[in-house]
Amino acid sequence: MRKMSSKATNLLQPRASRIKQKLENALEASILELDDVSYKHAGHAGVKDGANETHFNLKVVSSKFDGQNLVKRHRMIYDLLGDELQSGLHAISIVAKTPKEVGGK
Amino acid sequence: MTIAAVASLSVVRLSSSTRNPAYSSFITATPRNFRFPKDSRSLSLVRVSSTHKIRLSPYIVRCSATQDAELKSTIDKVVNSEKVVLFMKGNKDFPQCGFSNTVVQILKSLNVPFQTFDILENNVLRQGLKEYSSWPTFPQLYIDGEFFGGCDITLEAYQNGDLQECLEKAMCS
Repeated sequence: MRKMSSKATNLLQPRASRIKQKLENALEASILELDDVSYKHAGHAGVKDGANETHFNLKVVSSKFDGQNLVKRHRMIYDLLGDELQSGLHAISIVAKTPKEVGGK
Repeated sequence: MTIAAVASLSVVRLSSSTRNPAYSSFITATPRNFRFPKDSRSLSLVRVSSTHKIRLSPYIVRCSATQDAELKSTIDKVVNSEKVVLFMKGNKDFPQCGFSNTVVQILKSLNVPFQTFDILENNVLRQGLKEYSSWPTFPQLYIDGEFFGGCDITLEAYQNGDLQECLEKAMCS
């Protein structure tokens, strides 16, 4: 019962929170910035009218990206957000860096 | 350029078409022309067993495994048909998405010849490409038959020179 209610609660969270949670858990990101820019894409071809939380900008810094080229890093993120992409997330602009690349440790 | 007409493509004859002319009536490949099924009726039978065929006039539908293999084969040929192939929303003259437009403008600024396909015109192609590329969004850029990336990757590669290097290699090969 507790598990069911926490799952239900999860679904009620805004998409942005769910995305952040999934990425933080899986990538152990040192930096994770997520911006909802759906308003910039209103009326976009292929997007339903009035939809929100459809387009996001994401910046994530994680050591899990070490040794991965850009395609692999983006695929990693898309795989984590598979459910969101099936349920209305339309596009996500990704900046995926390692701590070294942003000048960190 | 619509999906139905692609210039300078070699003949593609799907092997199943000789056994099933009706199937080939909606996935045909003739010289200088690719055609993808326009509707998803043919894909609605993924639950049908491999031993069962259903006739949907004017289509005869095979099992989903055969359809997937043929769609994959056709996409293989399309991505290799030109050195630079872009699957996008709209076309190079009328992009219908900011991300697609960004890639178009980058390629135009580099003066590379490239072919575009409008995935908004054909949902079968749209869904098939997502699986083929293991990439859920568009645009999708292919260089020399290999998936290069979407808008973000193309933009970053353009800014750091990797895209130009990759294009030069492709054009010379």
